[in-house]
Amino acid sequence: MISPRTLRNLRSELRRSALAKLGVTLVVGIFLMAVFAPVLAPHDPTDQNLNDSQLPPLGFSTTENRTTSEFVDGEVTIVEEEVTVNATAEHPLGTDSLGRDVLSRTIYGARTSLLVGVIGALLAVLVGVTYGLVAGYYSGRVDDGLMRAADVMLAFPSLVLAIALIGLWGRAAIRIPDPFVAAGITPGMPPDIVLPGTVVLVVALVNWGWFARVARGEALSLRSQEYVTAARSMGAGDAFIIRTHVFPNSVTPILVLATIQVAAIILLESALSFLGFSGATLSWGFDIAQGRQYLSSSWWIATMPGIAIVLAVVGINLVGDWLRDALDPGIEQGEGGV
Amino acid sequence: MSLGRFLIKRTVHGVFVVWGVVTVVFGLRFLTPGSPVNAVAPLDASQELRQRIARDLGLNKPLYEQYFDYLFSLLQGDMGYSYLRGIEASTLVLGRVPATVELAVAASFIAVVLSIPLGVIAANRRHEPADYGATLFSLVGISTPNFWLGIMLILVLSVQFGLFPTSGRPLGLYPALALLVTEGAPGGLLRWLHHIFLPAVTLGTYFTALITRLTRSGMLDELGKSYVRAARAKGLPEALVRYRHALRNTLVPIVTVVGLQLGTLIGGAVITEAVFSWPGLGSFLIRSINVRDWPLIQGSLVVIGVSFVLVNIVVDALYAYLDPQVVTE
Repeated sequence: MISPRTLRNLRSELRRSALAKLGVTLVVGIFLMAVFAPVLAPHDPTDQNLNDSQLPPLGFSTTENRTTSEFVDGEVTIVEEEVTVNATAEHPLGTDSLGRDVLSRTIYGARTSLLVGVIGALLAVLVGVTYGLVAGYYSGRVDDGLMRAADVMLAFPSLVLAIALIGLWGRAAIRIPDPFVAAGITPGMPPDIVLPGTVVLVVALVNWGWFARVARGEALSLRSQEYVTAARSMGAGDAFIIRTHVFPNSVTPILVLATIQVAAIILLESALSFLGFSGATLSWGFDIAQGRQYLSSSWWIATMPGIAIVLAVVGINLVGDWLRDALDPGIEQGEGGV
Repeated sequence: MSLGRFLIKRTVHGVFVVWGVVTVVFGLRFLTPGSPVNAVAPLDASQELRQRIARDLGLNKPLYEQYFDYLFSLLQGDMGYSYLRGIEASTLVLGRVPATVELAVAASFIAVVLSIPLGVIAANRRHEPADYGATLFSLVGISTPNFWLGIMLILVLSVQFGLFPTSGRPLGLYPALALLVTEGAPGGLLRWLHHIFLPAVTLGTYFTALITRLTRSGMLDELGKSYVRAARAKGLPEALVRYRHALRNTLVPIVTVVGLQLGTLIGGAVITEAVFSWPGLGSFLIRSINVRDWPLIQGSLVVIGVSFVLVNIVVDALYAYLDPQVVTE
């Protein structure tokens, strides 16, 4: 499946291309951020502190109108004054409308995005590749029937279908205990990692068709190869041939597509969270929706999580380019982006 | 196979897909927890009233009968009546189509007009600053969530500088053009442009970036091929070689990818509409889902699915025109 030659190609492409290096760096960075979120985040991302709300990020200051009432000579006078709010080192990226630390929330947001992106893409690979390999291997009628069904799934724009399904099915969340908190390393941080279950299912459901298409194309061209005919003439069963001959030889384009799809799913998840459909409340998309209401007073609330999304998706897309250039298959691009 | 037969075959295939789409949309209601009666009945409705509502909505009929009823009324353009507003669903749904089409067309226009020249320039000046700039733009452009881009544009251009309105569509293109014709003043058209500019840029950026990227890499591929060397060797002007030969061949894969990405355009329109309160099909669908107004949900999904299939057939025809080989395969 992964030959020494493939590894050599990957390494030399990585050495040659600065963009590939940037991509790997970004992806590793975001990955570490997601895994070690409780250690890296300076504050509990859900901790509210209304006294410190809407603090600007370091290097910026804002003005705010504050009214105070004073009791002078038996009369109440209301004094309105303009106060300059300075950034504090405690909150390097500022705080949101409820005084929650934007940096901590941005770090924690990586978890939701990566979990949904990776698990969603894996599910889509599992279903789509099996489906596509069967369709392509048997070809003919089976292929026609199966691929028509996949066409119907792809006939819906993925975001539209995802909105419809989640809006209608509700937002089941799976709570996984955070290992760092459970082990007592970072007490006081949120005890659970919230995985938006419906979102994972739905993103897989709207994206498996792309994998089915690619896997089918590969299986279709591999089924008439001599080694497959040889295996068949020796009495090997279809399931065995698909598993040991067809699948391993179609891994490369599937891997590249899967990488690009992780990026597409991260964008999809952020869009769903932005619309309030995902149920995740520690998510980049959700924070952008929150910050949108404070655009005129606190631009950073919506800006920071967006930058995080762009960096993550740029990184994954660059890794996808790197894999494609190094392994160089003729690859059909899936639907991507929001 | 002739071009005509190819198109007929694609259309027949399209009809099957549309049928599938309608079936999925119909089935969606039965995969969803909660009875549609809940959307209509008051909270304290008696059992008797709930049953009467179910009968009125045709929910007490057997499933297959409901399905065929649905298919046949759809064929006659009847999408039922909105549960909450009692108006024909088709009127409400189709009334939202122009705004979405305007937005999608404006975004595609921006994308095509900017991206192909940008990609060609990048390919012509390989390893020069213009090339790096175009590459960086296309990389960031395909990686930016468009709702966030929209918010950032609002933040900078509307909130800070007050150049564009933050939301809404006071005037459609048709009324704007009608004003231009009847009054001869471009005011209506300018107002339309003023409002559609930010949403169109928001929706179009991803495609601009994508097509720039494809044009650049496609041009570089083609320019390295032997027919280009042959054309140069026989003394054809460089511009002719580049634009008549190389660019034309670059367009073929671009049309394919853009065809595959149409779903992204429609999905992107949904969320762009949500950001800019653009009164199109997308924001309509989101609102209908929130109140479980089934005839409106189904109607919007059918319209989106069917137009997607139609546009794909058009793309296939364009593809067949650009690359006659696909017809014979």
